[in-house]
Formats: sequence, C-alpha cells, structure tokens
Amino acid sequence: MTMLKTVFRREVLNNLYSLRFLLSLALLIGVFVAGTVSFLNSQAAALADDRQSRAAELEVMKSQAARNATELAVKRHTYVLQPRASAFITDAKEKYLPNAIVFSAWNVFSFQNRSGSANPFLNKSDEPNWAFIAAVIASFVALLFTFDAVSGEKETKTLALALANPVSRGTLLFGKYLSAVVSVMAVLLAGVLVSFLMLLLLGPAANPSALAAETAGFLVVAGLLTATFCALGLFSSVVAPNSNVSLLLALTFWLAFVVIIPNSAVFVAKNFYPIESSEAVQRKVDQAFEDLNRNAPPGSWTMNSGNPFLPQHELRAALQMKRMQAEKEIRDAYFVEMFHQFESARLATALSPVSLFEYMTEAVAAGGYIRFRKGWNDMHVFQSQFLNVFKALDAADSDSPHWYNPNEDVSTTRKPVAFEKIPQFVEMPMSFGERALPVLKYLMMAVFYSCAVFLVTYVLFVRYDVR
Amino acid sequence: MILHIARKDFLTNLLSPRFVIGFILCLVLIPFSILVSLDNYRGRAAQYRIDHDAAEKAVREVRVYSALRPEVVIPPEQLSVFSKGISGQMGNRVKVQLGNVPMLASGKTAAGDNPFLASFLSVDFVDVAAIIFSLLALIFSYDAFTREKEDGTLKLQMSNSLSRSASLAGKVLGVLFTLLPILAFSFLLSAVLILLSRNFAISAVEWGRIVLLFAASLLYLAVFVFIGLLVSARSRSSVTSLVTCLFSWVFFVFLVPNVSANFAESFVRVQSRDNLDRVLADLDRELEETIHSAWKAQGLSEGYSCWWCSINSDGYVETYGNDREGFEAFRRKSEISEPIRIRYADRRWALQQSYLDSLTRQARAAETLSLLSPSGVFRTIASSVCTTDLQSHKARMDRVRRYRETFIRFLEAKDVFGSFSWVTPAPPESFRTEDQLVELRTGGEFKTARELSQWASKQANPMVYWRKLSEVKVQGDGPQDFPYLDISDMPRFPDQPLRLFAGLSSSILNIGVLLVEAVILFYLAFIGFIRFDVR
Repeated sequence: MTMLKTVFRREVLNNLYSLRFLLSLALLIGVFVAGTVSFLNSQAAALADDRQSRAAELEVMKSQAARNATELAVKRHTYVLQPRASAFITDAKEKYLPNAIVFSAWNVFSFQNRSGSANPFLNKSDEPNWAFIAAVIASFVALLFTFDAVSGEKETKTLALALANPVSRGTLLFGKYLSAVVSVMAVLLAGVLVSFLMLLLLGPAANPSALAAETAGFLVVAGLLTATFCALGLFSSVVAPNSNVSLLLALTFWLAFVVIIPNSAVFVAKNFYPIESSEAVQRKVDQAFEDLNRNAPPGSWTMNSGNPFLPQHELRAALQMKRMQAEKEIRDAYFVEMFHQFESARLATALSPVSLFEYMTEAVAAGGYIRFRKGWNDMHVFQSQFLNVFKALDAADSDSPHWYNPNEDVSTTRKPVAFEKIPQFVEMPMSFGERALPVLKYLMMAVFYSCAVFLVTYVLFVRYDVR
Repeated sequence: MILHIARKDFLTNLLSPRFVIGFILCLVLIPFSILVSLDNYRGRAAQYRIDHDAAEKAVREVRVYSALRPEVVIPPEQLSVFSKGISGQMGNRVKVQLGNVPMLASGKTAAGDNPFLASFLSVDFVDVAAIIFSLLALIFSYDAFTREKEDGTLKLQMSNSLSRSASLAGKVLGVLFTLLPILAFSFLLSAVLILLSRNFAISAVEWGRIVLLFAASLLYLAVFVFIGLLVSARSRSSVTSLVTCLFSWVFFVFLVPNVSANFAESFVRVQSRDNLDRVLADLDRELEETIHSAWKAQGLSEGYSCWWCSINSDGYVETYGNDREGFEAFRRKSEISEPIRIRYADRRWALQQSYLDSLTRQARAAETLSLLSPSGVFRTIASSVCTTDLQSHKARMDRVRRYRETFIRFLEAKDVFGSFSWVTPAPPESFRTEDQLVELRTGGEFKTARELSQWASKQANPMVYWRKLSEVKVQGDGPQDFPYLDISDMPRFPDQPLRLFAGLSSSILNIGVLLVEAVILFYLAFIGFIRFDVR
C-alpha cells in the first residue's frame, strides 16, 4: 500500500510538472470558458424565442376554446420540447432529433424535428459542451498521459530501476494508472469548476442542487471514460516496442473510438437494421383508407354541416374514427420500428467508449433521445386526460348528438369552453430511475470495458521485458 | 545537396514504423469513408429515382392548368462521396407553385425515413483526409530538427559546407516526398473504389474536380508540415515538440471547426422560424380576404356551387358538369384570384428571403471563424469543389426560382388564368344551360330546373332532388370523361452541366488563405531553424 502511494505520488508529480499537463489545462479551460459563454448567450435567446412561440400557440388554443370545445379538441396542436437548462452538459443533438409532438384530444399523431431547430446551411457539428470536451479532449489527454508510461520509461531505462525496488509489477502499473486518471480528472475538474461558477453567477436562475447533482453525475461518467482511455493508453504503451509506436497505436485507438465508430451509426442502421420506407407505409395507410371507404355504408361522405343531428354525420363520424384508428395502428408500428432501428444503431456504436459516454451523459442531463421518449409517452397519458375532459364537456351538453368525430367539429359539443378547464401538457422533470434505467446497460458495458482493458494490460505487463 | 538530404530523410522515414502505421491507417480509413459515402449516395440516388418518377407521373396526370404544379427533384451530387458538405441536410424536392416562391427544399434528407438518424453525425472522405493527413504531416515533421539534434547528427551535418537554408529545404522535401505517396495512394484508392462500384459513373469534369481536390489536399498537407517544422525548430526536445504538435492538431482539426460553428450559432442569431411562419400565416389570411373582396367587387360570391368540383386554398380548382354560368363563375374567380396570388407570393418572398439571409449570415460567420484553422479552410474548399457547399445550394435554388418565373410566363403566354382550361377540360362549346342539363340528367322527365325543384319541394325526402339528377349519366360530368392535359410545351427544369471551375470563385480566397499560411509558417520555420541551437 505504501509502495502504491509512493508510485502514485511520483507519477502524479511527474504529470503535474509536465508540459502536457500545462497545455491540456490551458486548452481545457479555454474551451470550457468558450463553450459556457456561447451557451449562456444562446440559452437566453432560445428561452426568449420559446416563450414567444409558446405564448402564440396558447393564444391560438384560447381562441379555439372561445369558439367551441370541439374545435379545440380536433385541431392538431404541436408541443415543442423546451430549451433544456442542462444543455451545457450535453446538447444530446436535440436540435437534430425530433423535438416536436403533434397531438389533438383524439390522438398523438406524430413527431418531427421542428423546422428552424438547426440552421440547415451550417454543417452539422458537436457543440463545445462538457460532454464534447470530455469525449474529445479529455480522452486525448488521457492517452497523452499514458502512452509512454511504460515504453517511455523503458527507453530512459528508469523502468528497470523502478522494478529493482521491492514493488510488484501490478502495484507499479496500478499506480501509473491511478495517477493518470487522477491527473486527467484534475484537469477536467478545473474546467468544470470554472464553467460551473460561470453558470451559477451569470446563468439563468437555475436550481443549484439539481445543477450540483447533474455535475456530480457528469464527473462520474467522465471518470469512467477517462479510466477507459488511460487503460487504453497503458495498453498501447505495453504492447508497442517503443514510445513512438505506442503513440501511433494510441492515436489509432483514439481515431477509431472518437471519430470512426460514433460516426458510422447511420451506415450501420441503414444496412443492418433497415426499416420500411415511408412510401410503403403511406401506401398501407392509403390502402386501409380505401378499404374502409369501400365498406362504409352509403352516404357516409355526404357533407352538410348545417344541422349537427343529420344522420349522415353519425355515419361519417364512425368512418372518421375508424380511419384514425387504422392510420394510428400503422403509424405507431412504424414509429416502433424507428425507435428500434435507432436503439440498435446506438448499441452497435457502443463498441466505442466515447459513444457509451455520450449516451450516459444524455441520461445525466436528462436530454436527447430518452427525454424525447419520456415526452412521447407522457403525451399519450396527457392525451387520454384531454380526451376525458372533452368527453365530459360533450356529455354535459344537451345540444350535442355525441357522435365522436376526431376530424371535424360537427357532431359534438359546439359551445365555448373556459380555457382554464382544459389541461395543458407540461414536461415533467425526469426522476433518477427514469434517467438511469435506459442507460444501465451502457453503464455496465463502460465499467466492463475499462476493467477488461486494464486487466489485459496487467497480464501483458507482468510478462513485459523491461530491458 | 538538397536532394541528397531529402533522399536520406525520405529513406529514413520510409523504413520507420510511423510510415507503416500511417499507411495502414490510410489503407483502412480512406476505403471505409468512401464505401460509407457511396452507400449513402446510392440510398439518395434510389430515393431520387422514386421521387422523380412520382413527380413525372403527377405532372402528367392533370386535366386542368390549375392543377399543374411541376415538382423539381434534385439529384444527389456525385461528388458528395468525397465531401458531403451541407447536401445531406437538404431535402431533395421543390414544388413550383404560383403562391409561393420556393424557400428551402422539402422531401427526404440523407437521414432517410427515420428522423432520429439525423442526430448521428457522419464523416466523409474529406473529414477523414483532414484528420489523417494533418496528423501524418505532424508526425513526420515534429522531430525533424530535434531528433537529429538528440542523435547528434545535426551538428555533424552542419560541420559540412552546407547552408542552413539548403538543409531546411532538404528536410521539407524529404517530408513531402514521404507524404506524397500516402496522399497519392489515398486518392488512387478512392478512385479505384469509385471505378469498381456499380451504378456510379462520374464524368470527366468530375474527375477534374477530384484533381483539384488533390491539389488542395497537397497544400493542406504542406501547411501542417510547416507547422510541425516550426514547432520542431522552436522546441528543445522531441517530446516537447511532439506534445505541442499533438495539442495544436486537436485544436485546429477538432476544436476550431466545432467552436466556430457554435459561436456563429450563438452570436449571429437567425430570425425565429416560428415568427416567420406566423407572419406568413397572417399574410395568407390577408391574401384570402383580398381575393374575396375582389370577387365581391365583381359581384361574385365567396362560395362555390358545382356539380363536381375539387378546390384547394392554393388556387387549385377543378370542376365538371356545371352549366354555362357555373363554369363562367369559376373562370372569372380564378382570373381575378391568380394574379393576386402571384403578387402575394412576392410579398411572402421578401419575408422568406430575409429569413434565408439570416441563415446565410450565420453560416458565413461560421465559415469566416473557421478560417482560423487550416482544416476549416480545407473543408470549405473541398465542399465547394464538390458542389456541396452553401453557394452551390443557393445557385441551385435560384435556378428553381427562375424556373418558377419561366413557368408562370408560360402560363401567362397561354393566357390560361382567364380561360376555361384553368378550371375544366370541358371545351366551352360543349357547355349547356341549366335546363338542358336537367333534361339530360333526368332522361327528359323534367324539361327545366324550375320544374324539377318544384317537384322536389313536394317530396318528403329532399335528397330525391339529387337522386333524380343522377339517373342518367351525362358525358362530361366527371374527370374520367376527359383525357389528361397535353403539357408537351411546358418548360422543363433545365439540367445544368457542371463546368470545371464554376462556382469556385470563393475558393480562390480560401486557397489564398492556405497559401499565405503556408508561406508564413515556412518563413517562421526558416527563421526558427536559422537561429536553432544545434548543440
């Protein structure tokens, strides 16, 4: 134990005084500051834009409610996910993901990426948020701290000297490993701290305890990432004959894990997990509509909106309801295919610890895909509440024939309704369980990854020729 | 003597493990990027064919001019295999309408059917090249002076009658000679992959553009070689030089492009799209009111009464089986509404254009900021060479907009807004009076419309009025009685063949930036080496 301490102290001091430590500290803090300044500026503007759009949407709904309850119930509304306060940890590509849900009282129809979320004239890129900095810079720094830990010492002949002391190889390797992880985390922590303080002082009034919890969660997953990359660096150091080769090997790992694997997800998704084309799905819907129309009783399509009690309205209401159900069934099945394709592609990219890290930070910050899925599920719950409220309103109206028609405001209550009585969809914050469960498998993989790489390195180091 | 040193350096490099590893990296990553891009291209090309056929079918199967809305389907850029630029983020279809000047293309993007896939980023040949070539350039040049100093050979070399500039020139040539085969090999490999791939033939002009890309890569490579030499000349040991080089690599290749895009997004705000949509919706309401009041002034009603009609708020009107007055009302309404619609499209366009301008400003700001990094400049040049940059996109959309004007002029020249062919394929000489129609449809049972309505008003079920009228099928009562419109004289969206240097004017500036950077870096490296302490 004391030996581990000695090794650890020596290595940490070694790292601390090195040029790479200084450079990485400067670079990291620089990017953290730049990213935070940019976030603070854009977040304020995004919140202002969002407030304006939300108010306008609410106005539209109010005027519909003031005209009649059915109009409010059958018109399609779009709920847009709000700008997220924890976007400084990771933006989780929310501007490219579906971020708007289309619903009415009768159905949750679809989702889409709201036009204007991302500028289509700008090349897609990562934002310099915490997750990006950790994924790209911290992983790189981790490799720089470790690539010559063994091969470099062999070249300067200090390795043989160190092993001449009563220290086991395992202790020496573990000391080096630990010190590298601690050094990288120290650099990262300094950057996170600067960013954290800037956010607290200059940011929009946020909940400091939530901020602290998310920061702690981020540091844990970033620690895992760092540990994996330090182990990879040591591995390169042990397998290569000299430090030049181990550097190239380490850089190759880095390129594979940071650049190649995460960026081949679309290719993997389309080739290994293909889904039906949207044209085929549309044909299915058209076919279902045609069948329903053909089998509908004659007169179902006769329109005359003057008197709500005309018998053709009942026929049409039944037909419209069946059409909606049929379309919903087909579309929902297609959405499930999409979710599956996306999740499978993610699982395939989980080969890279950087992708694992990104998916875990997404859970820490409660953003991106898992946030969308929660919103999507919650919207379904909300929609049934909305429908119940509407049905109750309709039941209370004696002037309504109560023929439910999801597309037209004809044969249900046509009285205005007080807007306050209508429930509004509110995005609920995600609980710990909701965040952790979807990424538990990724967490286990990340832990396994770092342990496995270190273990292999240990085995190789035990058999290492130090001369 | 210079060649002598270059040869020696070249041979030392050639035998080093870094050459082998660098070569293997290119051997793996370049085909990977090309194959992934080819796969992506094929997907888009297949989608293009589907959409193109659908658009052709749609435009052929119209019976009235008001239904004619040609859709321009944009084929994927072949050179996107090298640099995807922004092409993958754009839709591939643009509908040409009277009431709307096309703003952005709609349809599927490179993400295809699953919108979630849009959240995965992807790399192409140019991204890989920007990463690998810069890395290799630095790896081969970081220890150019420091290693020889550490080995003691630099002192030895300098003790000969050899000027430092000659020594430096030899070094530069040596490194470039080493990297040139790797670069050439990468391009050759991709060329072979492209030649071998099915359904993908590229033209001579496109090969010419690939050669331009090669030249730009060479310049890019040189810039990083000079960065490496500069760092090496200013460092005391190889390790210091290496660490500095690697950090500048991450800084220039990974951080600057991302941070510059993000800063542009944050500090050069675009207009709110929601706001634009709201203002446009207001304008649409105003348009509707203007049309209605213009009709009213002419004594035409807002509503439509017809035997068979299909109407859309975008100006589409198709009707059959009316009497002469009915058809005349449809014709006059369209004659009034369509010129107003075209006028409003210009008002809409003013707003849309200012939104597009704000998007463009942001993209240009990101581009300007990325000039800080040679890799940003290189990528900009590459996307412009591969016609996948913003400028090419704008040029393409401008052509679509000009096509819309040509299309409108075509309609105006035929004077169709004021003609019956806008609303119905039935020839005017076949129009009948209401009484004639009633007589025909009831099989002669009723001679006039008055007779029929008097009879119907006495019946219990008012629906019998319509049932009576449906008894005899009259020629011209529905679309099935008429052939499709002959649109052989309609102007088509012209294909624009790619010219070798078209749209590259902005790249000249970027090439200039790279050149100036290269010269300055070389000069600094030269100064650094002149003052280099060889002991």
